[in-house]
Amino acid sequence: MVRFQGVAMRYANGPEVLKDVTFHLEAGSYHFLTGPSGAGKSSLLRLMYLAHRASRGTVKVFGHDIAATPRRLLPGLRRRVGVVFQDFRLLDHLSARDNVALTLRIAGVREDTIRAHVAELLSWVGLGDRLDATPATLSDGEKQRVAIARAVIGRPSLLLADEPTGSIDELQGMRILRLFEELNRIGTTVVVATHDQRLIARFNHRVLRLADGQFSVERPTNLSGI
Amino acid sequence: MARRQFDLPFANDGSGRFLPWMIALMVYLASLATVAALTTREVVESWNAGLEDTATVEIAPGPDDAATDGLVARAMAVLRNTPGVAAADPVPIDEIGRLLEPWLGPDAARENLPIPRLIDVRFDPGAVIDVAALSRALLAAVPSARFDSHGLWLDRLTALGDSVQLAALVIVVLIALAAGATVVFATRAGLAVHAKLIELMHLIGSRDSYIARQFQFHAMSLALRGGVVGVLIGALTLGALTVMWRPIQEAVLPDLTIGATALVALALLPLLAAAIATLTARITVMRALKQMT
Repeated sequence: MVRFQGVAMRYANGPEVLKDVTFHLEAGSYHFLTGPSGAGKSSLLRLMYLAHRASRGTVKVFGHDIAATPRRLLPGLRRRVGVVFQDFRLLDHLSARDNVALTLRIAGVREDTIRAHVAELLSWVGLGDRLDATPATLSDGEKQRVAIARAVIGRPSLLLADEPTGSIDELQGMRILRLFEELNRIGTTVVVATHDQRLIARFNHRVLRLADGQFSVERPTNLSGI
Repeated sequence: MARRQFDLPFANDGSGRFLPWMIALMVYLASLATVAALTTREVVESWNAGLEDTATVEIAPGPDDAATDGLVARAMAVLRNTPGVAAADPVPIDEIGRLLEPWLGPDAARENLPIPRLIDVRFDPGAVIDVAALSRALLAAVPSARFDSHGLWLDRLTALGDSVQLAALVIVVLIALAAGATVVFATRAGLAVHAKLIELMHLIGSRDSYIARQFQFHAMSLALRGGVVGVLIGALTLGALTVMWRPIQEAVLPDLTIGATALVALALLPLLAAAIATLTARITVMRALKQMT
């Protein structure tokens, strides 16, 4: 599904924020990505959702070596990746409904299908009564749920979430992570970036740990006692 | 769910705020240039058609009306005996007075002014006339006669018409280029303003063409609005000019009414502006997006 081999990344001519990262995410796996602030979690996710190219090493997503993939094929790959951004990145002038629908519109889905699916999913995340609300009128927790709905509406093969529970209460956070688990059970590969160790301890998933640009993979059994 | 026209918030940015007004101004100028070119062509064609196979003989007035009438009669005799002349008709003195009325006043023909006499000559269609020989024969009969076959005048008029049309065409092309450049700048400004949203749309799987469609429909909508305003103001200006022109036109110029071709061209101008804007916006966006990840 996702394979990194000796990957490094830098922004422009700055220092490397990731160094020699090597790992393999199998299809259908569920990982937490953790590490202190500034460790490079978001940068690693940026490489995975094809927002950035590695400065060296090989990044393969869905079997495609991204460095060698023609630009015209990237939209198709990106549609198979759902992303929940840390800062939500909602379009302020669009309603919650249209924000979520955007993913499907871009993919060319028919409007009647979009209408039904968007309303159903927003109801599921508890926003059935806020369909026409714009982000400016939503709380951070509600924005987070819209962002999550937008990420999962296209039934992505790979779901990447950057601090998805950072702006919502614990109950909602657990609910969202259960949704991710349900998606994982039907085959979606999930990576959740979080620095919340208590949250990680509640679930029995592998952990990708970043510290100072270096990378390690921990199995669930390593986490006892956290 | 009502489908939003644009996913990008064009209504909230200033990148295209002035575009409709710029397009309106350009379409206004283009409408004047287009109508000038087409009307000039129609006028020249009308003059050509009216004066083809015709000539005018002008006879300077004699010492009195009787003498002048005698000169006219001698010239008429020469003309009637010339092969290829279908008809030769002296222009009535009242008609000559009416033609001179704008310069000499309404009573010119009745105030014993020494007004030259005119003879309208029509040739058989296709007849080959030896203009020099006819002119010599007329001068021999009436030394004060002047034969005008209109050829030189028509040639100059046609050349003038062609020049006006060429100038108008150049103006319209320059306006189209300026409109294209305006759209390029507005589109680039829009790309800069919406860079973060465009990146987001790319990240959720948007193709360049989807994003380009947003910009091209936005540009088309603005250009169409501006084009309609420009052509309406152009039509008002042309209407006002026609009204102001009418007194002069009645006296000395052929009918300058805007013809059907010019009206169709006017109606097409906003569509042309919209097409230029659409195409330019698309090319600009597609080129710019290729530079992005």
